[in-house]
Amino acid sequence: MRRLLRGYVFTITGIAVGVAGLVALGAMAERIVRFIEGGDRFVLGQISVAGKGMGMGVGFTAGGLLPASKIREVAAVPGVAGVQAQIMLPLNTSTSQFLTLAQELVLGLDLSTPMPNRHYRELPVRQGRFLRPGDRHVTVLGADFAASRGLRPGGRIMLERTPYTVVGVLERMLTAPDRFAIVSIEDARELWVAKDPMLLNFTLGRGDLNTGAAVGWTLSEDGDTVARRIAATVSGVNVTIPSEISRVLRSSTAFFSALLVGIGALGLVIGGLSLSNTVAAAVFERIREFGIKRALGATDLQLGNEIFGETLAVSLAGGAAGIGLAAALGVSINAYVAARGQHLFLFSPRLVLGALLFSVVLGGAAAAYATVRVVRVSPAEAIRRGT
Amino acid sequence: MLRAVNLVKSFPGPNAEPVRVIRGADLRVAAGEYVAINGASGSGKSTLLNLIGLLEDPDAGELWIADRRLSGASRTEKSRARGRLIGYVFQSFLLIASLTALENVALAVRYTGGNRAAARRRAQALLDEFGVGHRRDHYPPQLSGGEQQRVAFCRAVLNHPPLLLADEPTGNLDDEQAHVIRDALRARARAGAAVVVVSHRAEPARDADRVLTLIEGVLK
Repeated sequence: MRRLLRGYVFTITGIAVGVAGLVALGAMAERIVRFIEGGDRFVLGQISVAGKGMGMGVGFTAGGLLPASKIREVAAVPGVAGVQAQIMLPLNTSTSQFLTLAQELVLGLDLSTPMPNRHYRELPVRQGRFLRPGDRHVTVLGADFAASRGLRPGGRIMLERTPYTVVGVLERMLTAPDRFAIVSIEDARELWVAKDPMLLNFTLGRGDLNTGAAVGWTLSEDGDTVARRIAATVSGVNVTIPSEISRVLRSSTAFFSALLVGIGALGLVIGGLSLSNTVAAAVFERIREFGIKRALGATDLQLGNEIFGETLAVSLAGGAAGIGLAAALGVSINAYVAARGQHLFLFSPRLVLGALLFSVVLGGAAAAYATVRVVRVSPAEAIRRGT
Repeated sequence: MLRAVNLVKSFPGPNAEPVRVIRGADLRVAAGEYVAINGASGSGKSTLLNLIGLLEDPDAGELWIADRRLSGASRTEKSRARGRLIGYVFQSFLLIASLTALENVALAVRYTGGNRAAARRRAQALLDEFGVGHRRDHYPPQLSGGEQQRVAFCRAVLNHPPLLLADEPTGNLDDEQAHVIRDALRARARAGAAVVVVSHRAEPARDADRVLTLIEGVLK
């Protein structure tokens, strides 16, 4: 087998280059898909409520102030299982006006209440620990946020001129929380006032400074129904209907979805043509050898099995090498851009298995075509053509 | 051993007009007989040998080998007959470059279902007999022309085929090497094989029991 693969080294290299291109494109597409799916999963797992109005917060809690009294009213609505007051602030206000997919945010959580999101009961911590009730001036960072600043548990970061100790770093989720700095809601209120001192002119209690709340619902209820019930029962709030916000999110990312389909189709066509052409050419260039074997008594079936088996092995080896090449490239680039808080390639199991399957199926189809063409030729003609 | 009756073969010509290369060739070769076929270059000698060796199908005519009628036989039957009944020695050796000398010789049993270990032992013995045993692990490009032809000869006779066909077997060899191959062919005939050699040169015919000439597609 080793000798066989050595004999096909150029073919394997050719296949590997084609598959590597396909896998690299696929890995970038997977990265974007994961981002979109993560957002979708998040919004379908909770009802987001903000105060009536606009412009106070960002992200999924955008809207007016949500006073403590309103949070209590929401909690009293039948079917509501839990309400967690939250504050979302842009880390850098100078860029907060831009619509970006991955803005760096400060997320303040009321730690006295469990996270009500059905799909994110807790955020996965890679290093250190998550926040605990009573924590002050400590933060848990998203993976990209931490990587871009070289932070780990025990490190320090200044937020609005106040030092915060990093107590934990989240697993890379490839969604929005990767770029979060999570603090207690009390700290977030301090940060908010520091960013916007005009808030002190209002006669508000500290507990009224919330940009929104995440609301969970009981098992027997439907999220959309509970959201509509809140909207009908509690006045002066903006309520997102989970399925509607999911639809809005999907339509806002429709361009990316279409782009991914285009990239995927292009990758399949280019990779497929490259692979099938390389495999078929590798078979045709050995036609003389096959003619000799026919002269030595190889039947169509024996020769077909031999060629087919060899080309399948070569396709598999080329596919695996291509995946390895793309992975090496992707990991290197990911490591390079990690310093800027980015992560470009995601080599998911479905992508890797799909690429291997693609290599084998297409390689097999090209081999079958070439085999049929080769065995149809008489031994004398095969020897003549290869001379 | 071999009976060919009225073999005809044409190839497409430049103006779609078929070029008739073999125009009704008849040939009988008995077991143990050594027949040489002479003819000028381009007279169709190789085509005739390809027809006899089942490497190409005739347009018309009949062919028997070892009392089996093989004209009109299925592709599989012809393949099996090539493996078990016929041995070929080609002018350009036709060794597989990615296989060693020993592997090239032993290849002759891969498709006939013989014992591979025994075949390798037999292949080694043949290589030793022809003075190239020490080159068993060398690849064809590492061998001289004479050595390659001796390896090719070993491959052709490994299965003890009752019919041995040789197309210009000494065409690329010096006198000494050509002598070795001619002796080997003669020895196979003495051992009972029907041997047919085509050549445009006179030397191979010197050892033959019978010499035929291919003129305008007909054996005379």
